[in-house]
Amino acid sequence: MLAYTIKRLFQAVVVLLVVGLVAFSMFRFIGDPIDNMLGQEATQEDITRLRSQLGLDQPFPVQYVKFLGNALRGDFGVSYRQGRPVAEIIAERAPATLELAAVSGLFAITIGIAMGVFTAIRRKGLAANIIMALSLIGVSLPTFLIGILLIYIFSVELGWLPSFGRGETVKVGDWTTGFLTESGLKALILPAITLGLYQMTLIMRLVRSEMLEVLRQDYIRFARARGLSDRIVHFRHALKNTLVPVITVTGLQLGSIIAFAIITETVFQWPGIGLLFINAIQFVDIPVMAAYLLLISVMFVAINFIVDLLYFAVDPRLRDDAVTAGET
Amino acid sequence: MKRLILGSLLFALAGTAAQAETFRWASVTDPQTMDPHAVSSAPVLGFLNNVYEGLVRRDKDMRIEPSLAVSWEPIGNGEGWRFKLREGVKFHDGADFTAEDVKFSYERASSEESDVSSWFAPVSEVIVVDDYTVDIMTKQPNPIFPDSIANWMIMDSGWAAGNGTERPDKENGNFATLNANGTGAFMLSERQPGLKTVLVPFDGWWGEAEHNVTRAEFTPIQNPATAVAALLSGDVDMINPVPIQDAERLKARDDLKVLQGIEARVIMLGFGHEADALKYTGDAGKPNPFKDPRVREAVAKAINVDAILATIMRGNAEPASQLVSPAMRGYSTANTDRPSYDVEGAKALLAEAGYSDGFSFGLKCPNDRYLNDEAVCQAVVGMLAQIGLTAELDAMPVRNYWPELRADNYDMYLLGWSPGTFDAEHPIRFLVTTPNTEKKLGSWNFGGYSNARVDELLPMIQSEIDDAKRQAMLDEVAGILQDETVYVPLYVQPLVWGTGGNVELTQRPDNFFILRWVNVN
Amino acid sequence: MTALSAAWQSDFMWSFRRSPLAVISFLVVMALIFGAVFAPLIAPHNPYDPATLNLLNGFTPPMQPSAMTGDVFWLGTDGQGRDMLSTILYGMRVSLFVGFMAVLFALVLGVSLGLLAGYVGGWVEAVIMRIADVQLTFPAILVAMLIFGIAKGFTPVHLRDQMAIWVLILAIGLSDWVQFARVVRGATLVEKNKEYVQAARLIGRRRSSIMLRHILPNVLGPVLVIATISLALAIIAEATLSFLGVGAPPTQPSLGTLIRIGQGFLFSGEWWILLFPGLTLLALALSVNLLGDWLRDALNPRLR
Repeated sequence: MLAYTIKRLFQAVVVLLVVGLVAFSMFRFIGDPIDNMLGQEATQEDITRLRSQLGLDQPFPVQYVKFLGNALRGDFGVSYRQGRPVAEIIAERAPATLELAAVSGLFAITIGIAMGVFTAIRRKGLAANIIMALSLIGVSLPTFLIGILLIYIFSVELGWLPSFGRGETVKVGDWTTGFLTESGLKALILPAITLGLYQMTLIMRLVRSEMLEVLRQDYIRFARARGLSDRIVHFRHALKNTLVPVITVTGLQLGSIIAFAIITETVFQWPGIGLLFINAIQFVDIPVMAAYLLLISVMFVAINFIVDLLYFAVDPRLRDDAVTAGET
Repeated sequence: MKRLILGSLLFALAGTAAQAETFRWASVTDPQTMDPHAVSSAPVLGFLNNVYEGLVRRDKDMRIEPSLAVSWEPIGNGEGWRFKLREGVKFHDGADFTAEDVKFSYERASSEESDVSSWFAPVSEVIVVDDYTVDIMTKQPNPIFPDSIANWMIMDSGWAAGNGTERPDKENGNFATLNANGTGAFMLSERQPGLKTVLVPFDGWWGEAEHNVTRAEFTPIQNPATAVAALLSGDVDMINPVPIQDAERLKARDDLKVLQGIEARVIMLGFGHEADALKYTGDAGKPNPFKDPRVREAVAKAINVDAILATIMRGNAEPASQLVSPAMRGYSTANTDRPSYDVEGAKALLAEAGYSDGFSFGLKCPNDRYLNDEAVCQAVVGMLAQIGLTAELDAMPVRNYWPELRADNYDMYLLGWSPGTFDAEHPIRFLVTTPNTEKKLGSWNFGGYSNARVDELLPMIQSEIDDAKRQAMLDEVAGILQDETVYVPLYVQPLVWGTGGNVELTQRPDNFFILRWVNVN
Repeated sequence: MTALSAAWQSDFMWSFRRSPLAVISFLVVMALIFGAVFAPLIAPHNPYDPATLNLLNGFTPPMQPSAMTGDVFWLGTDGQGRDMLSTILYGMRVSLFVGFMAVLFALVLGVSLGLLAGYVGGWVEAVIMRIADVQLTFPAILVAMLIFGIAKGFTPVHLRDQMAIWVLILAIGLSDWVQFARVVRGATLVEKNKEYVQAARLIGRRRSSIMLRHILPNVLGPVLVIATISLALAIIAEATLSFLGVGAPPTQPSLGTLIRIGQGFLFSGEWWILLFPGLTLLALALSVNLLGDWLRDALNPRLR
């Protein structure tokens, strides 16, 4: 186990380095930061001077090594656009994204499992079939359109929920939270649904098919034969056994929730790191982009790593392949 | 824990109570810094005009009026300008405003680290005569100098020294990036970059308040549809800009108002004048037809500006005949005609130039810089197709656009120009004069247009004190540009703001939002 | 009995005929594909030819004569005066092309790498699966933006418009192959220890032949299911990317680009510019998803 852990850890580091390299090499193709930093009356001299000040005139490998060295010490540089340390900006914005991701994750899991169980138990029922078909609508439209339609219906036409932003936030230590105010909670609803809809559908379908699978197993038949009530059979036995794959998939999906937050945050002007990243692209704010990508990578790799270890512990024969083998 | 929730509930209640008097507005871009000398961009300068003040300022009609200076007059035969300063003015932190602050702000704004140093290129020296008199000496007579410094904002020298921000630092930032201490009608009370910036009225302001705002909150909203939704649902009191297509619908509603005006920015088509060959499409490598003024004129005639304005701009913009709008100083009333839309005439001109079969070329266009820029370019492609010219459109975000133009990667391009000085001299200096890095001339003349007479006229315009003579020279340049179709001016970009029905405010052509003219009823 | 009727009588087709939803979805998908493929013949206008556009026809509502020219358009026109019906048909062509090619690319890449990893094992497997990790690390959106940026830097400008489509295909395909690889590798690990493979190996079959002839056919079921669902995902992904400004160019719009443009008209009253492309995309993606759903159940013998 230890040897395997070390080996995987080593691989994870290599993965991160490659990610960093790829991410870093893309910046030169995104655009030129200089024009966004200087006004329309800047001269060629100003441009050259700024370029060398930022180290952009140095060869690419030098820039990369420098970036890595600083990143290891937790120094992600200073945002070109805001003129503030990137680490500070990200720390400021992360709570918004994490709270949004947590709420939409929760939404996806609870509603997803409930609907999954329902559609599995009433497999042939009309309601279950309608839910199954409807759930596909959510994944058959692009996220941004769903978000805008929700704003149109619930903010503009009905006037129930705010159209953008996080509402009033409260500072608890270094963390700003929207959970403690009414406007903060209201502001969470539409973005959370927009972001969680896809995952909800995924979980619902996964639970349903796992449930159907389990319900066919012999021990469930025996349980029924023993005269246990449907409720106990469904929830104590069947559901429990479907949860392992659900947890795994949910874990992996956590990362993509945060990545997909880019779109939701843009539509709802949600002040998280996804919006920060989009802004950074717009203004070619290389330090912010680099830090964001590295952060996301660390998170994905960490999740992958943990999932791998779990699988190794459960079934050394299969290791990581079963993660998505069940359903996609 | 219980206490925390209770506390935050109270906080939330207090928050809603305060919100009733709060004016909330939204725009696409967040001002990236609170430092008035670090970045020369409209969002920054416009926002900071509410917090900082200059020696002079612009009134509702863009005329220069006294601000921190009460009067000014030329010195001698145009060696410089003498400014009499307003007495009894306080900065937000309580410090007194004196001539030393003016000298300091000159040093700060004209330093190498500053982004606005080009405003001070004509200046040779700033002399403190006494506490309330300052002489600003110029290298040559400079009749428009007071006009050119309305956005030069004065910072307190003591505050800057005390907080280590004697020079702007846009790369690493410093105290002035997040904090502000001006003399303006509003004080910065909260700054969360990219999220929210809050201003409150400054009690010690020298002027008389025309507004009734007790608190103003600015939020950037990027997605235009979201901004409109925010205005419609009452989440904000004002948005700038309103997407042009939505203006009519918003106007029709009782609870909303739409303010329209024309901006200082003229949208135009530019050509490669210097390039010997076409660079794009199947005709790449063939001689550059745009060197021929007849071809350029044909392009001008082929474009139905009225149709663009009627559909894409929804009747919200005015056609342009020259590089500045009629609202600018030095606009040439002698050259107000633009080439009429005339497909046959355009074809005839092409035939005359030897291109009766047309040709194909590459058109560059930004897609996130000007209002509906990409749609306008698409329309241009369609109209040029009617006279046999096949334009291949390459539209890109502005972050890729300027480097591309600077590298001469275009055959034709779209450009918008807003003269920072509100004077017709500005575009001549940047867009028309033969490029010269040393003299800092023609830095946006990407096509490399060169005309000896224009080059000769520019310094004369810059130093001519007599308005009539100056105008005659500006008229001559405007005439040359039209005769040779150096650019094809299309239209003056409209300003469209949307507000709640209970909001009164004034829209200025420079698209600056001035909070001290806002009243919420 | 002919082969055709034999196929019709098969379990597979029986299950198909028994599911009205599957039949309807199939018909919708076929109709849309037909419309897309024959767009140049069906469409009343050619939206790709700028010379035929009249800006003055812009924003004409459906079924009403244009205020300026009197022309009538079934589904109205967009801001450039392009006939919406024609634009949608051509847009669907782009969307479907991108979708099919991206899935094909992901499928070929993923299945080969998965087979290789599962069957060969060792360091080959480790390298492939770590590459998969890197791939998973970058969400599809970021991959696409990256490739878009790089490709833009390297392509001659006059090829960029055509290039945009291929970049989309590459980007969406690249973000999708991991799924195929993981499933195929998992299945291969199981299959390769089965007796028939052992037997094939004993009689001296080459590795490549064992992989292709014996293992591949056994993993095709799940691959087909993933491919169908991936098709819907790819079409949606293309739309999402266009919202971020890295989609098909507006001169040759895909359904996604049309929706991105159309959402700007949600509040302005020109509902048709958003509604019709939106409904088309919904119909397309939903039908493909429903087909994928049915396919999954039909190919899973345990669920009958």
